[in-house]
Amino acid sequence: MQSDLRLTNVGRRYGIRGPWVLRHIDLTLAPGTLTRVEGANGTGKSTLLRVLAGIDTPTEGTLTGRPRTTYVPERFPARLPFTAHGYLTHLGTIHGLPRTTAARAADEWLERLGAAAYARTPMAQLSKGSSQKVAVAQALLPAPELLVLDEAWTGLDTAARAELERVVAELTASGASVVFVDHDPARLAGAPDATYTVTEGGLNRRTAQAGSPEPSGPHLLVEAQGPPGAEPPAEALRWTTSRAETTAPGGHRLTVPRTHSDVVLRALLTASPPWHVASVDPGAPARNHTTAPAPLTTDEGPR
Amino acid sequence: MTALLRYQAALLVRSQRWLPPFILYAVFLAVGVQGGQPVLDSLGYAAAAVLPVAAWLVRICAGNEPPAARAVVAAAVGPGRAHLACLLVALAAAALLGTAATVLVTLISDPASADHQVRVEPLPAGAAGLLAALVCALLGTAVGALTTWPLLRSPGRAVPAMMLGVLLALVVAGSPAQSAITSLVTGSRAGTVPVPLLPLAGAALLTAAATATACALTARRSP
Repeated sequence: MQSDLRLTNVGRRYGIRGPWVLRHIDLTLAPGTLTRVEGANGTGKSTLLRVLAGIDTPTEGTLTGRPRTTYVPERFPARLPFTAHGYLTHLGTIHGLPRTTAARAADEWLERLGAAAYARTPMAQLSKGSSQKVAVAQALLPAPELLVLDEAWTGLDTAARAELERVVAELTASGASVVFVDHDPARLAGAPDATYTVTEGGLNRRTAQAGSPEPSGPHLLVEAQGPPGAEPPAEALRWTTSRAETTAPGGHRLTVPRTHSDVVLRALLTASPPWHVASVDPGAPARNHTTAPAPLTTDEGPR
Repeated sequence: MTALLRYQAALLVRSQRWLPPFILYAVFLAVGVQGGQPVLDSLGYAAAAVLPVAAWLVRICAGNEPPAARAVVAAAVGPGRAHLACLLVALAAAALLGTAATVLVTLISDPASADHQVRVEPLPAGAAGLLAALVCALLGTAVGALTTWPLLRSPGRAVPAMMLGVLLALVVAGSPAQSAITSLVTGSRAGTVPVPLLPLAGAALLTAAATATACALTARRSP
């Protein structure tokens, strides 16, 4: 995603005299950000996501700068006369991939989500969870610049849920923008750059981690060593919730959300000169127990 | 757009919902067209029956995808383009059927006027029949596009509206389909082959307008 996606004074209602579902929405999504949308049932979260994904046109106001977008609906009924692989290949080509690339990517994503066994199964025979995996795969396959997830985790098994969280982390790290709705407050906890609450058709930005500077959710402790005196790579620090220097020369201990461990390790290992990862400790408690100078919140993205 | 058309065509072919209109059309031809009848009369009959088939195919194509799958494609290419592909596939299927029927009818019919006195060249007659079939396919697509999602959603209103639309498109004076078929029938009496290009242009314009209306509304109506 090259530029911001911007909603200006957007309103949406169904029908000419229908009640306003959304009204006076102003929202900007910068590249590489993760945005969470919250709200009670029926407040218009899904409508907001449909507007962002370009499926619904705003009744009033404007939307500008929408890049290559994919969308995962909350329920994906498999009433389609294709196999999972056939459907994904079609969707890949619709997104502009060459046929062979799309077919290969379809296999890769089904494998990553643990649905490779159902690749050649007609979609009508898939279980709810498996068809949700197909829905997720179609959205990840074309390498989207904007990914819109409407309760995409619902129905997935544990492994696929964790994989989707990791993919979301990777996508945002690579500059794509991700918007999601999920009813589990622990979903990607600590990772969103912004959280919005939809109430009575309006949108309120929730101040990130107000009152509690401590990160929440499961974390890992990464010990890495770089050139003495050097700062860890900015890309790694972006996802680090707290850090401290260790006794080793150039050693740093980083507390990282579990969903973003791959992103941070990749940043460390591909830095120039590369950092040495001394240890990764999965048992890090959620709270900040090191003597970090100041906890970095995820809002302080250096980009 | 090619990938989108291929996806919609695959949806239609694999759903097998195209079978009922195709079979009904075949039955209609079998009942109404026999070998040795005047070619232009039979071609007019075959072309007229394409109109309801086209409208029905649009209805099938528009309802072929579950709303969630439609939303996924709409996010990729925009809802208007997704719906356009769906209408184009229905039109292509109807045109294909009309072409096949025209070729068959031209081959088995008597190349003569209605009273079997004047010879009618089969090739120009077939071409005129093809134009008429195309006019009916276009107009049927227009009727279908205006009487299904996103304009009319409940089948209780959409199906009667579609049938009424088909009937009016076939009988109202001034309708391109009516004038194309009439030109075939009067040509058959005189033994001259008409060239219904004006009705074709009219049908193309009407269909373009109906398609544009339907596609523009896709993003504005609820799923």
